[in-house]
Amino acid sequence: MARTRFKPSKLTLFIGLFLFGCVLLLLPQTLTSKLNFAFIDIFGFFLNMGSSAAYYHQPPSTSPDFVSRHEYNRLWVAYTNQQAELQEYKRQIEELGKVRLTEPDPLAGLVLAKVVNRKDNQFIINRGSNDGLKNGQYVLGDNAVIGVIEQASADISSVRLITSSTCKIPIRISAPQIGTYFNGTMQGDDKNGAIILNMPQKYKIKAGSNVYAAEKAGFLLSPRIIGRISRCVIGETNPVIWDITVETAYNLNNITDVAVIVINPAAGG
Amino acid sequence: MRWFRFAFLIIAAAVIQASALMGTISLTDMHIKPDLLLILLVYFAISCESYDAIICSFAIGFAADLTGAAIGPHFISFGLLGTALAHIKKVILLKQTRQQAAAIFVMGILTYILASILIKFKVPSAAANMFKIFTVSIYSAILWFLVKWFVRAMGKWVGAGVFRFGAKPQER
Repeated sequence: MARTRFKPSKLTLFIGLFLFGCVLLLLPQTLTSKLNFAFIDIFGFFLNMGSSAAYYHQPPSTSPDFVSRHEYNRLWVAYTNQQAELQEYKRQIEELGKVRLTEPDPLAGLVLAKVVNRKDNQFIINRGSNDGLKNGQYVLGDNAVIGVIEQASADISSVRLITSSTCKIPIRISAPQIGTYFNGTMQGDDKNGAIILNMPQKYKIKAGSNVYAAEKAGFLLSPRIIGRISRCVIGETNPVIWDITVETAYNLNNITDVAVIVINPAAGG
Repeated sequence: MRWFRFAFLIIAAAVIQASALMGTISLTDMHIKPDLLLILLVYFAISCESYDAIICSFAIGFAADLTGAAIGPHFISFGLLGTALAHIKKVILLKQTRQQAAAIFVMGILTYILASILIKFKVPSAAANMFKIFTVSIYSAILWFLVKWFVRAMGKWVGAGVFRFGAKPQER
């Protein structure tokens, strides 16, 4: 008897594939994201071909009076972070005069990771839940906050960058002239920067002010620099709020190494 | 169709699409890039007979999902609209390059709108950018004029386009 090859009709094939697609769509993202990560894992070498990391490998400046733009940015980030920490310590010292504060969590630490792939406003890094990473943790690039962990599998994670419109994080804007901060929420603009939402005009904010990621219980112990305000004008649609644009501390396309802030890594792993 | 060659072509296109190489031809600070998989979807949908076109459309959709954020939305949207195009081409031949470019533009808009609706089921925080969908579709359509010879050569290599325009495909 001749063996017949199974060949479904066009309609059966279409319905079968469509139903398979529905199943894929309904499967939890934590499960199917393993396929995305596996693709990046397998083709990581090819995906990074042509990546522009040259920025970080510029030869040092020969002039004793000038430094490169990247070096300047690095020093500026370090300086502003120190300034924010100093402000925080000053506030704590003032508070300590009144009440005894609990010790900062000694288990807070950083997990260093490499960027293995980059998509639109997203990085894929080579660390995962095995290293204590979980959703919502802050990610630093050369000490400046560049995004948050969006998904973490066992040994690979995706980072939603602050330039993504789906990334909203609480921030503080420094106002050194009156020695305070203004709290707000920042959202990416899907380009190379971000905007600050619904900031009323009663706050005296100027272009050039520093923007910090605000402390968040379990994720960030002290403010960390994000960038600075590049544009601050009266809102076009609502004149009682500011239209604020934030410029990131670094060009995120050139970042190759990141650090994830992991609070209580022992508990996370 | 030579399915192993087809799988190799689709994987290669997906890797190039997701790679940093595409950044070199991206435009503006919104990083507008052409979609190679969209171009392949339209090519295979109009070049293969409808049975093969259904398989190709879903397979290319799966590759698009692998390079994206979630598995499923592109699989369904590419599959549905690629199948629809394979049937439309029985009525409208889409012979000329201009018509094919227009098909890429329309398919780009439709598939990505459908995919961005479906992705909400999986990743509620995902946001669709209509301007980006529009510009990516235009860019892909324009790129078709430059890459059509290469894509057609690849298509012949995988066994597509043999029954193209005029020759009666074998009915299943």
